Amino acid sequence: MIRVESLTKDYLLGSETFRALHTVSFEIPNGMLAAIVGQSGSGKSTLLNILGGLDRPTVGQYWLNGTDVSQLNRDAWAHERNHTLGFVFQSFQLIPTLTAWDNVALPLVYRRIPLKERRLRARQALNDVGLEHRLGHKPAQLSGGQQQRVAIARALIGDPPLLLADEPTGNLDTQTGEEIIALLQNLNQRGHTVVIVTHSPDVAARCRQIIQLRDGRVVSNQISEKSASEVPS
Amino acid sequence: MTWKDSVRIAMAGMWANKLRALLTMLGVIIGVSAVIVLVAIGQGASASVTSRIETLGTNVLFVTPAGGTPFSQNQIAEIQRAVPFPVTAVGIMNTPAKVATLQTTSAAQVIGTDASYIDLGALTMAAGHFLTPTEADQGQHVAVVGANLVASLFNGNSPIGQPIMVMGQQFTVVGVLNPVGQGPGASQDNALFIPMTTAQYLLGTNQLSEIMIKTATPNQADLTDNLLTNWYTNRFGANAVTIASEDQVLQTLQATRATLTELLAGTAAIALIVGGIGIMNIMLVSVTERTREIGIRQALGATREDIVLQFLLEAMAISLTGGVLGIAMGTGLVSLAPLFLKTPVSFSWFAVALAFVFSSAVGLIFGLYPAIKASGLEPIHALRYDG
Repeated sequence: MIRVESLTKDYLLGSETFRALHTVSFEIPNGMLAAIVGQSGSGKSTLLNILGGLDRPTVGQYWLNGTDVSQLNRDAWAHERNHTLGFVFQSFQLIPTLTAWDNVALPLVYRRIPLKERRLRARQALNDVGLEHRLGHKPAQLSGGQQQRVAIARALIGDPPLLLADEPTGNLDTQTGEEIIALLQNLNQRGHTVVIVTHSPDVAARCRQIIQLRDGRVVSNQISEKSASEVPS
Repeated sequence: MTWKDSVRIAMAGMWANKLRALLTMLGVIIGVSAVIVLVAIGQGASASVTSRIETLGTNVLFVTPAGGTPFSQNQIAEIQRAVPFPVTAVGIMNTPAKVATLQTTSAAQVIGTDASYIDLGALTMAAGHFLTPTEADQGQHVAVVGANLVASLFNGNSPIGQPIMVMGQQFTVVGVLNPVGQGPGASQDNALFIPMTTAQYLLGTNQLSEIMIKTATPNQADLTDNLLTNWYTNRFGANAVTIASEDQVLQTLQATRATLTELLAGTAAIALIVGGIGIMNIMLVSVTERTREIGIRQALGATREDIVLQFLLEAMAISLTGGVLGIAMGTGLVSLAPLFLKTPVSFSWFAVALAFVFSSAVGLIFGLYPAIKASGLEPIHALRYDG
């Protein structure tokens, strides 16, 4: 699903160059529930942004679903994100002026799917995350957990093979965080490859593959033999 | 993104900031309604003037004397001899005076002239007849009245055969003129024509105010202009008379009209540009405010074109809504204009179309920069923006 080879990312901070990622290489197979872990500043968010095409590596190669996407231009990446990827962010990233319903339907707008079908599918997606009674609510009228579930519904509506989650529980209390992780696990069982960036050992422990970063380098990459279904949820 | 969705998103964007959008629109509303009202006033004023000149034709000359130049009825025959082709030449004596019936009084332009005045083609009879050669020769006390005088002195009843007092003398009305509208100078609808000989007697002078000459063709008018300029220079010295052709009057009017139109267009353009700057300003604010939204849309698959279109259409939605409101307001003001203005107004669909095209162009031009700026944002920076 994901293969990166010698990814390096440099930032220019004033006149200093700061190396956020240092020749990072790994693979995440199809259908995996993977965690990228590390302390803050270890480069894990930068890595996820590169995996999502929101940021670009300074050097290195990236194959997504067998295609080399290292050299894609912006609009090609937009297409890729729209069709292949679903994002879940720590800060939810919902558009405050739109209702939950319209927020969820947004990826389909950029797929040129007609309004009627979008609304139908968005209602179904909200139903899947247990929010069918919150269709007309704006993000500010929803709790954090509900907002994150709206965001997950939005990530899922286009049925992308890969879900990228950046600290999805970071802004949530433990109980709600549990529910969100359970939801992501459940999606993994239904066939989506899920990559979660987290600094929480509890979250990481529930993933089959754990890639650990320190100071921009991969320090360990383990795939446990237990299947996702064996993880208590 | 489909066009339908682009428009929907643009309208929603405008709707989310109703008051702000409305205030931004004000510039466009004022600009567009100004175009419509000013053009209506400009065209209303020039339309009646032009129609009057067009009935007279362009092969007419006006000879007016400078102070001290002898200018009598005798010169008409001399002019006709000096020009090698037949021309109609008519002398005019002209004075403002009060005219009265038994019931009421009105201000009028009393014009002494002779029978051939009607041959100039400027006037047509509504009833009765124009001054006849006999009436002119005998200095009879007869009068032909303009359309406005019929209304003000006779309540619109037929005045033929009725008495009318002019400068203390009683006249009999023998003819009524059709309305001609506002001409250059006083309206002939307020004129009262009497025989030249009678006017000379009443005014105690035989100095004419003006001689009008009509030639068969415009070329002959030019030729006559040159011949008469020489003739008068030889006889009375340079600049003894002013000779103006109807053509020159028309050209002057058209030049004035063009200047007026350019001025109005300039004013409107300034108003619309100011409106456009307002739109650009508010769109730049909007792009900054919604940086995160742009990042989210990019993360979900919006291409640069999608983002450009979203903000460009929002700018155009503001300017076009402003344009439509401006057209409504301008049209309303034009239809109310007769209540406030004495000058005629002439509503113009052309001005409406122009205003509409201009206002959409304003949205397009001034919305382009903010839209391109929005589409150039890096998704990663846009998503992290703290506004």
